[in-house]
Amino acid sequence: MDGTEEQASGPGPFFRVVAGRRTAFDDEGFFWDYDEWSEDAARELAAESGLDNLQDVHWKVIRFFREYYEFHGRAPLNRDLRQGTGLSLLELQKLFPGGLKDGARRLSGLPNPKTCN
Amino acid sequence: MKKISLEVNGIRHEVLAGKDDVLLDYLRDGLDLIGAKQSCDRKGQCGACTVIVDGKAVRSCLIKLMNLDGSKVITVEGLGTPDNPHLIQHAFVLTGAIQCGFCTPGLITAVKVLLDNAPDPGEDLIKKALQRNLCRCTGYVKIIDAVKLASRLLRGETTLEEVTPKASDGNMGVSHPRPSSMAKACGTARFTADYKIPDALEIAVVRSEVPHALIKSIDASAALAMPGVAGVMTAADIRGTNRLKYLEADRPVLCSDKVRYIGDPIALAAAATKDQAEAAARTIRIELEALPALESPEQALGDDAVRVHADRENLCYRQPQVKGDADAALAESAAVIQARFTTQTNHQAPLEPEATVAYWHEEEDEEDEPHLVVVGRSINIHHHLGMLQAALGWENMTYEEAYCGGQFGIKLDVMSEGLCAAAAIHFKKAVRYIPSLHESMLMTSKRHAFHMDVKLAADRQGKLTAYCNDFLVDKGAYYSMGHVVVYRALLMLSGSYQIPHVKADGKLVYTNSPWGSAARGAGPPQVNFALECAMEMLADKLGMDPFEFRFNNLLQVGESKSTGRTVTEWPVPGLMEALRPHYERAKREAAASDGRYKRGVGIATGSFGIGGPGDASVAAVELDEDGGVSIFAAAADPGEGNDSMLTQLTAEVMGLPLDKVRLHTRRTDDTAASGPAAGSRITYMIGNAVVDALHQLKAAMAETGAQTAGELKAAEKPVRYLGRKKNEDSGPLDPKTGQGPSFESQVHAVQMVELEVDTETGEVKVLKMTTAVDAGPVINPNNLTGQLEGGADMGVGLALREQYIAGETKDWRTFKFPTIRDSFPQEVIIRETPRPKGPLGCTGVGEMCLVPTAPAVINAVKDAVGVFICDLPATPDKVLAALASGKA
Repeated sequence: MDGTEEQASGPGPFFRVVAGRRTAFDDEGFFWDYDEWSEDAARELAAESGLDNLQDVHWKVIRFFREYYEFHGRAPLNRDLRQGTGLSLLELQKLFPGGLKDGARRLSGLPNPKTCN
Repeated sequence: MKKISLEVNGIRHEVLAGKDDVLLDYLRDGLDLIGAKQSCDRKGQCGACTVIVDGKAVRSCLIKLMNLDGSKVITVEGLGTPDNPHLIQHAFVLTGAIQCGFCTPGLITAVKVLLDNAPDPGEDLIKKALQRNLCRCTGYVKIIDAVKLASRLLRGETTLEEVTPKASDGNMGVSHPRPSSMAKACGTARFTADYKIPDALEIAVVRSEVPHALIKSIDASAALAMPGVAGVMTAADIRGTNRLKYLEADRPVLCSDKVRYIGDPIALAAAATKDQAEAAARTIRIELEALPALESPEQALGDDAVRVHADRENLCYRQPQVKGDADAALAESAAVIQARFTTQTNHQAPLEPEATVAYWHEEEDEEDEPHLVVVGRSINIHHHLGMLQAALGWENMTYEEAYCGGQFGIKLDVMSEGLCAAAAIHFKKAVRYIPSLHESMLMTSKRHAFHMDVKLAADRQGKLTAYCNDFLVDKGAYYSMGHVVVYRALLMLSGSYQIPHVKADGKLVYTNSPWGSAARGAGPPQVNFALECAMEMLADKLGMDPFEFRFNNLLQVGESKSTGRTVTEWPVPGLMEALRPHYERAKREAAASDGRYKRGVGIATGSFGIGGPGDASVAAVELDEDGGVSIFAAAADPGEGNDSMLTQLTAEVMGLPLDKVRLHTRRTDDTAASGPAAGSRITYMIGNAVVDALHQLKAAMAETGAQTAGELKAAEKPVRYLGRKKNEDSGPLDPKTGQGPSFESQVHAVQMVELEVDTETGEVKVLKMTTAVDAGPVINPNNLTGQLEGGADMGVGLALREQYIAGETKDWRTFKFPTIRDSFPQEVIIRETPRPKGPLGCTGVGEMCLVPTAPAVINAVKDAVGVFICDLPATPDKVLAALASGKA
């Protein structure tokens, strides 16, 4: 967090400015709204996690996440990721600090399943 | 052992019967006749296991198998099948008497015997015949209707053709049979315990019998040496975080360091049979060191109170609400009342006990980790899948919702799934975890107890001026949905009324009570009880008629709720006008009562928010090869009729017959993550997401002229579309003032109770409930009225009988489960104001139905005998005590 987050209470969402835009997140740092994601936001969040330069292979994984969600309305399981990207789980996990869920899926802008409000 | 010969559904069987074997287990386990259900721990309390033996309706859990030599047994499967149902099964389907369906097979067999012996029974005889069959969903109203219809059908007074809705009747506003109801009527719908898995281990869990203690040691050596035992698990054997995080990661799958309430799980034993697992679990020795038990929020907030969680304050959430200047308004008001209201910890009481099974699905690709399938009662399968993955450290998992025997909020969180799946992972075997009713009560969440200090004021003209409500919520041991309960209470604090000045302070406090979570309404029923009773007190003080006092203070379009948000639609005045003649009639009739039995009339309003700030949903639709449409949305249906809603909405939007709509709603691997079946949000949120997707599909079909999937593909257009629903008003309330966003939609009701108080015993008997409701255009009238009737029955239980007391409430009798003898006539008045943002103008109704009920009952008691019972439930002893203390 960089001080642009807003004080909040309750079930969320929580807001902060990312890539110049006020954006809603949940308490685990996942995008609240799939449509608020942008490539610039992914770059900024990646840099925060220590990944300064997103390579083609990162974008390939991110694009797979987003296309999977656009079709199914849910996040892929690891087996879907492996089959969809052609990468092994080990390769995938090494690509993103935080691993597949907290790293790749979060950067891809896929929201967590909603709880209740 | 004794060899017997008996006939079941016309087929003769020879069986070796042990002395303790009961008919229910033989039917379910020996013959896979799963229609008869088990709910009450084989105590004969629920009737879900009713079958026909030699022409009599019997509770098969009480019938010794060895006594049935030569007997003829008929189960619900023997009456009819979905392809060829019995007329009684048709009658249950057509009247909307089937919601969750868990009680249905037992009811239908009992009705068969009744109608065989009394072809045209009156209501008293129906109630007598069904007095041992419990139902939590319907309030028994439509069950009585079903018996009457079955009677007419069997006697030839009417025909199926005459009473079955036709396609030409349209899709909306018609009580088309629910897609799932015939399978439930015929006993072929599989609930979780009906899943038979070869070679599955059974587990038994050791739970804390004290509310607060340190775990010093666990000795499982004796258990490990017992026959059939596969092993014992403790927290150390959990691979993942061992924390089930709904909103906060504070609840362990198995406790490691301490226990925090009566029922906390400490260890489990797995064995080849349930008896072996339970025998092994009984030998596990656990050494505990007692800690002070925090039994109330007040105690937990004391300066020297121990913490329930070492890393968290006992005051785990606090949110004030300030609108205007309530203190100044109170000081200037002509009339002020002040009172303390308390509501009880309560069990949601679904008839089906907790249950989970888990099995390993063979994976085609050997590179993938083994694939675990968890089958249970979840109403939020995608979120629960994520919870289980993190807690158990296993990613390749599918959650499948079985048919679910009611839930009423209890399945918002993970219960038995954590232990069952953990055992499956640890032992690398399939596992069944079918706990008893008593254990289910121990492990599940409860309705939060509220303690509310209230002031309500009005000016000389009877206009409300100020409202204060400081409320303490007993969180119990674990957070679950936690602050959402406080939040929802504040979002709906001012109910249906215009109150210019509001001051409230909601506090959520960890204690060593059973942990609270969702329970039909989740917060608003508690605060609305206080508000609506306070309204009655204030009307009394002002000498005004309570109906007119309410009517004169209703919120109007353009005015604001306690959150400061103005409302753009508020059809409550029309509901009160619709109720007015009923109220005047009821008051006249009640005035005639005298003597020992005093009659009273009480009313209360409810305005319930749906689609909270920031809520969102998603659903996918797909055009099929035959021009039909498939829906892919995790829209759990534990009895409300979400299958009807999705089917009828889709048929209406697409101009399709109902049988061309196919639902995929139960598995995480073929549904969109649509969010929980909670907060009455399914129709409004998921219905809207589905309609959005259908509009995209329709646009593509219109553009290309395609009518089938093949034609759409040929036109190079997708056949599948993802629909969204996002609420425009998002973001939290202001942390200091509680002002800010609110719900996007509301459902409203005004309820009137007519009752009778026995002044010698304190017993209260509800004579009639009249509900005026506006939930927008009605999709399926039977489903709407069914929700209201069942909810009102539940609300009366909350008002008069029900309470969960840890260590004492162990079964349906100690819970005081409502029977058909407690049921009462109900009348529903429907208004259909379209909601501009609702799917085809509709909104939800599932929780609204009990929000006004408890205060309407308490206000009617006051009208009858002149005393207010501010501490729920209003049991006979409390009524008598109030009468004796001269509060009248």
